[in-house]
Amino acid sequence: MANHQLLTREDHQELRIRIEPDAARGDGEMAAYIVPAEFRRVQSEFPIVFRRNQADDSFGALALFGFENGENLFLDGNVWHARYRPLSLAVQPFLIGPPVEEGSDGQVHVDLDHARISQTGEGMRVFDEDGGTTPYLEQIAGMLGELHAGHTDARGFFAALERHGLLEPFTLEVPLSNGSKQSLVGFHIIAEERLQSLDGDALGELHAAGYLLPIFMALASLSHFSTLVERKDASLKDV
Amino acid sequence: MANEIGTVVIVGGGTAGWLSAAYLAARRPDLAITLVEAPDVPPIGVGEGTWPTMRDTLRTIGISEAEFLAACDASFKQGSRFDGWHSGSAGSYLHPFTPPVQGDMRQLLQAWATADDDGFAQAMTAQAAVCDANLAPRQRGMPDYAGAVNYGYHLDAGKFAQLLKRHATARLGVTHISDHVRGATVSAEGLVTSVELRDAGSLRGDFFLDCSGMRSLIVGERLQTGWIDRSDISFNDRALAVQVKTCADSPIASQTVGTAHPAGWLWDIALPTRRGIGCVYSSRFTGDEEALGILQDYVAEKVPGADASNLAPRKLEFATGYRERFWQGNCLAVGLSAGFIEPLEASAIVLVELSLRALADNFPASRAALGAHASRFNTLFRYRWERIVDFLKLHYVLSDRQEPYWLAHRDPETMPASLQEQLLLWRDQPPSTWDFPQIDEIFSAASQQYVLYGMGFPVPSSHRATDLTGARARLAEVRERGRNLVAALPTNRVYFDALSQAAAGRPQEGEIA
Repeated sequence: MANHQLLTREDHQELRIRIEPDAARGDGEMAAYIVPAEFRRVQSEFPIVFRRNQADDSFGALALFGFENGENLFLDGNVWHARYRPLSLAVQPFLIGPPVEEGSDGQVHVDLDHARISQTGEGMRVFDEDGGTTPYLEQIAGMLGELHAGHTDARGFFAALERHGLLEPFTLEVPLSNGSKQSLVGFHIIAEERLQSLDGDALGELHAAGYLLPIFMALASLSHFSTLVERKDASLKDV
Repeated sequence: MANEIGTVVIVGGGTAGWLSAAYLAARRPDLAITLVEAPDVPPIGVGEGTWPTMRDTLRTIGISEAEFLAACDASFKQGSRFDGWHSGSAGSYLHPFTPPVQGDMRQLLQAWATADDDGFAQAMTAQAAVCDANLAPRQRGMPDYAGAVNYGYHLDAGKFAQLLKRHATARLGVTHISDHVRGATVSAEGLVTSVELRDAGSLRGDFFLDCSGMRSLIVGERLQTGWIDRSDISFNDRALAVQVKTCADSPIASQTVGTAHPAGWLWDIALPTRRGIGCVYSSRFTGDEEALGILQDYVAEKVPGADASNLAPRKLEFATGYRERFWQGNCLAVGLSAGFIEPLEASAIVLVELSLRALADNFPASRAALGAHASRFNTLFRYRWERIVDFLKLHYVLSDRQEPYWLAHRDPETMPASLQEQLLLWRDQPPSTWDFPQIDEIFSAASQQYVLYGMGFPVPSSHRATDLTGARARLAEVRERGRNLVAALPTNRVYFDALSQAAAGRPQEGEIA
């Protein structure tokens, strides 16, 4: 259930958000949607993979945190064991709502049924005592803006990937130290051989659009599958 | 060489005695420690403010922060606020525990004085914004004893002694004897060999801690180590103390509030369920009746819902001064037995902690070295007491109040020469480590700055046109950090309500979950 409302100082002056990483507040996920604009930051910590959306056949990009639903190997209690938190997680429970009139900016909305909404008076304030915005809200607004621009940009990015056949299905099967096997199916990654064989015109087109950098970032991020496997192995030993 | 000092006898319970027992037992588990306390003597129990040092002390003793907060009805103390000290009107300044932002103080002062309408503390540390909004210094999710800003505690002193007693006896192996101490036996070499108990006879020991309170049973009465009287500088010698229940949803202040009155000041310490309020005064300048009136007026004005006409305050009388020698032979005075100066900056408990740290770090192994230890300890602590006397006096000498008490405080005859000299220097340069060169200075240059500029002391002029861009940027950072902290931290009330709810949901010790 979601209860989206336009964020206003009148209605939400006392609103506080529990910002600490917490499985019970939306962080217990194996992956989070990301936009190409943040690939550079994501690739320093997580593998970047792609998934086809069943509904409209479009592609989306994900930062991978685990191997199965509900498994986040970067989350330990309230500690996030990475230097980066993807925007789509960091902005919760806020989202961009439709602009009031055609052509104007989107508005900040909040999901009041989200588990990050504080019920106790603890947590981060959104508006201060005088009704001014807090640095937190300013930061959130910046991230929402970046996400919004990133989504707009992403459509062209994925269209180009498909046009050049740069996505290929991918299956991973990893033997773990306890003898079991961990597999990952249903995702796509950048087709490296295909990328190598692109001619100068195609590369020039991708570069001019700003897509070449995120493509290589996604490729580089795949080295973090070993990070993921190490974390999985470590989590098995803890038990 | 065999260790000649293995048994320690502590005379007296209360905060000083039990803190000594627990701290020494935790630091030196090889010692056999016994504490004797009289069964029916109530502790003074008004030392209700600690310094940030208490976090480290509690961690050393091995008590978790949540256990401490719950057992002592404690709250957070982030400093002291002084109301009405400068002119007697609404003026107020803060002495927070977090030092001013890093940087050249002379330039920071210029940047502040030329640009800012805020108080000195408000400009120099984000903690002021936290205090002004009654916020906690930490979030519950943070590790024990960690905070976003520096903090100590307000606590119920009676409950604190009980917690320390339980912890010391049940977990740290301290032996507790309930008996009256009649006196002490001293050998020909001047060492205490035993204390004489009313019921249990002679209790022998190698080392003795005198925590007997103002009476100073061994170090004062028996060993006659001399007394340095400071009532000529610090006039207050009486206090009327009350505890007033507060409403369940009342705000909990983040700092001790000290409000000046015509012949002294009032303390106001907020715990989650009550406020400890006391009127400190000088019997040379006012009577008990007037003091009671001042206390009643304060309670009526400041505590919503309290019945100010029906207060039954405890009256305390105290001498102002300290021992010439705190440590003599094999006996050390800790707590009120070592001395007392009015509670203006809550120096009583911190002196206990500092004494214990000095003792544990340098615990004598042989009788031959006792004299050297004593001499070093006495030199260091005489210096510390002198600095306390000077610093407390600083709060009074910058006032503009015109009552006889305040005028007498500004009479140079009542001011230590060391303080007069410092004030002369501070006209030209801000307080710095040059003025306070010891390690572990009890009041750092930062503390002196908060009081000095809080009281409106003129900012030293700069020698040439200096570029203040860097200093202004520092002050802007303080404001930004303040905005961040105010958004992130819960109020004290919310913090302690959530803490007690969480505690109620947990099974008690010994209960089966």
